[in-house]
Amino acid sequence: MRAGMLKSALTELNGTSGDIEASAVISTDGLTIASVLPASMDEDRVGAMSAAMLSLGDRTAHELARGGLEQVLIKGEKGYVLMTYAGAESVLTVLAKTNAKLGLIFLDVKRAAASVADLL
Amino acid sequence: MSQNFNELITYGKAFSGLTPELEVCLKNFAPTITPHLKRVTDSFYEQLATIPVTEKYLAGRIGHLKAAHLRWMNDLFTLNVDAQFAEGMYKVGGIHVKVNLPVEFMAGAMTLINTELIKVVVETMSNDIDKCTKALQAINAVTGLAWMVMQQSYQEASIAEELEKFLKISGMSRTLFTNLAKAYN
Repeated sequence: MRAGMLKSALTELNGTSGDIEASAVISTDGLTIASVLPASMDEDRVGAMSAAMLSLGDRTAHELARGGLEQVLIKGEKGYVLMTYAGAESVLTVLAKTNAKLGLIFLDVKRAAASVADLL
Repeated sequence: MSQNFNELITYGKAFSGLTPELEVCLKNFAPTITPHLKRVTDSFYEQLATIPVTEKYLAGRIGHLKAAHLRWMNDLFTLNVDAQFAEGMYKVGGIHVKVNLPVEFMAGAMTLINTELIKVVVETMSNDIDKCTKALQAINAVTGLAWMVMQQSYQEASIAEELEKFLKISGMSRTLFTNLAKAYN
């Protein structure tokens, strides 16, 4: 039931913008809880890598006196990876296109993270 | 990391050439050789004292180290070379990592020990070439085996120590690291 609701939340998030290509909710231990990913993507790798990056981001923010972590953003040649906490024990990861409007995506992801946190 | 000591000893014996016949030789030669082991230990530490880099590892601990070394050498000649033997040697390798002993110390030490043991064998058995040959083969095999096991534990303990540092610095949990590694298997 909850898995279905989480998947719906992700599908809704992906639908808010044509720039969002994929999204997933992952435990902070790196296990995928729910995902809406292209078939070509390995769910386990997306999960583990996202949680690892968020963990490192969290540590970096604290070490460099930036306060509590809000999000980790990675920009590659082919687009963005955005990771944010969805509650204390899960991560919301979003993959977006290279020309994505980041302001809108940040807003949508923030809302979606709050929904996911409530569901969990 | 959990270690299968039965597998490790079998693997070590295959590489070192420690046959059942040579194992029997070790036990048979023990009464002749073990009375000389204190001399081997003393000579070993005298040699170490001439190497400047070893000083900081020896200072204030010589008595304790010599006693441990002598016990270890006695074990080579008196214990059954089985899983329990491998476990003991494995612990020795781990201890070398804990005290931050450079990896080359084990190889160097084994060479020095063998050099001294060869002297003892030649002194005590040179009147019987066959016996002398068997003793040298058995000693070479058992010290080679012990070194192999210790190297393996040294390597694993070093990796574990480095991983622990990485996890501490990165803030990653061990579970997350395991899941990350699994995802890329």
